[in-house]
Amino acid sequence: MDLTHLPAESVVSDQEFAKFCEFFYRKTGIMFDPKKKYFAERRIVERMNRTGCATFREYFATVRFESTGEEMQRLVNQMTVNETYFFREDYQMKALVQGILPDLARRQSGESRIRLWSVPCSSGEEPYSIAIHILENWIDADRYDIEIMASDIDSAILADAAAGIYGERALQRLSPALIKKYFTAQKDRAFQISADLRGSIDFSRGNVMDPLFMRRFRNIDVIFCRNMLIYFDDTSRREAIEAMYDCLSPGGYICLGHSESMSRISSLFRPRKYADSIIYQKPFESEA
Amino acid sequence: MALVKHVAAADPVDDVQDDTAHDRAQLIADLGSPNATTRRRAARTLAEMRSAVPVLCAHLADEPSLSVRSIILTGLIVSKSPAVVAGLLPLLDSEDANLRNGAIEALQQMPDEVAPHVEAMLADPDSDLRIFAINVLAALPHPDVPAWLRRVVASDPHVNVCAAALDALAEVGEPDAIPDLQDLAERFSDVVFIRFAVDATIRRIRGR
Repeated sequence: MDLTHLPAESVVSDQEFAKFCEFFYRKTGIMFDPKKKYFAERRIVERMNRTGCATFREYFATVRFESTGEEMQRLVNQMTVNETYFFREDYQMKALVQGILPDLARRQSGESRIRLWSVPCSSGEEPYSIAIHILENWIDADRYDIEIMASDIDSAILADAAAGIYGERALQRLSPALIKKYFTAQKDRAFQISADLRGSIDFSRGNVMDPLFMRRFRNIDVIFCRNMLIYFDDTSRREAIEAMYDCLSPGGYICLGHSESMSRISSLFRPRKYADSIIYQKPFESEA
Repeated sequence: MALVKHVAAADPVDDVQDDTAHDRAQLIADLGSPNATTRRRAARTLAEMRSAVPVLCAHLADEPSLSVRSIILTGLIVSKSPAVVAGLLPLLDSEDANLRNGAIEALQQMPDEVAPHVEAMLADPDSDLRIFAINVLAALPHPDVPAWLRRVVASDPHVNVCAAALDALAEVGEPDAIPDLQDLAERFSDVVFIRFAVDATIRRIRGR
């Protein structure tokens, strides 16, 4: 990030920052603590420089009144960090094994299949993390046929996911025991995830905005859709969530990223709290 | 092993793939189905038909399922047009808060189509409808919003309508709104809350 134009003195007053925070929170669900003002301000200044706005007031008006929402989206991209690694936001995986899977299991009547979908799956860290969490932490795992599907729009990243080779940085949150159990050391300090895990996940390329692609996914019990919708505009976010609603079984769950809130997108889902995580549940048919 | 690979061919065929088999009349008839899933599917397909906008807008008021309403509203947002706005505006008068809020959220995403209606919305004799119009403006990405709100605080006779406009101006107001705000405080000098809100809004606008 080019910060060469960042002035020594603050260009956003505390009142202006409070106004910006309220607006940004309403639009995205991302809240900035006053202590994070410097973090946010230097990114605002970066966007001011890029858009040629001389003052914060001018820049805020651009973001606030632009009907296309493009600058708002660029600002969101600037404010968010996009990186992936094993066991990222693993409190949701704890919610999965401590709350969601037991709930699904209680509701099973004769059916022994549980179907999960990771979208977007990027280079595979998320679906593999889900698999490892289930195998390690859900005592009933062996009683069910658990299908994990994983999709991304990027075919190159999907090839990386299927190959399952990662550097040390991606594995930093895994214990040595888990690395030893599920990975094989490769050259150049890389590790490949086990063939069993690679073979158990169904990778597919597609776009959640494509109705034909989305129709392939039905009767899903849990969708992990984390840190993607934040990059969509308001309308696309609604469309994507409604398409995912149709993919889920009644009573199915969707997990969003930590900076994403369903209440800003749709009122279709019911919030549920499991293991300190807010997860969103599709109503049962009688409630829908 | 607990993990099994998904086999797509084993999935039941979803009859939503048969959209092309439905004609418009059948889809409209399906909106009356007792089954919410059938109505959702019909609404999703009808939303892609420009000629179905009046039918969908009219159906919204009678639709009991939130999920079907939602799919209709999203379809209308995607196909935004003057006809959509004309169909949604009457819903601001609905007693159903969920439906009314759905219409407000949808209208907020159609700034160019809503703009020609704003003057009339703000002149409605019903003060509640004027407040709902301001609710639309509060998140409408249109450069005329500050001017519309200024006109409200300068002239609307109802204190609650002015309070709603004040609230919105705290975010989007420019310094040229300050004289109107000060006049508003004079106009409602017996309403303590307005004095407080005007001061807070002016502080926000000045940025200090």
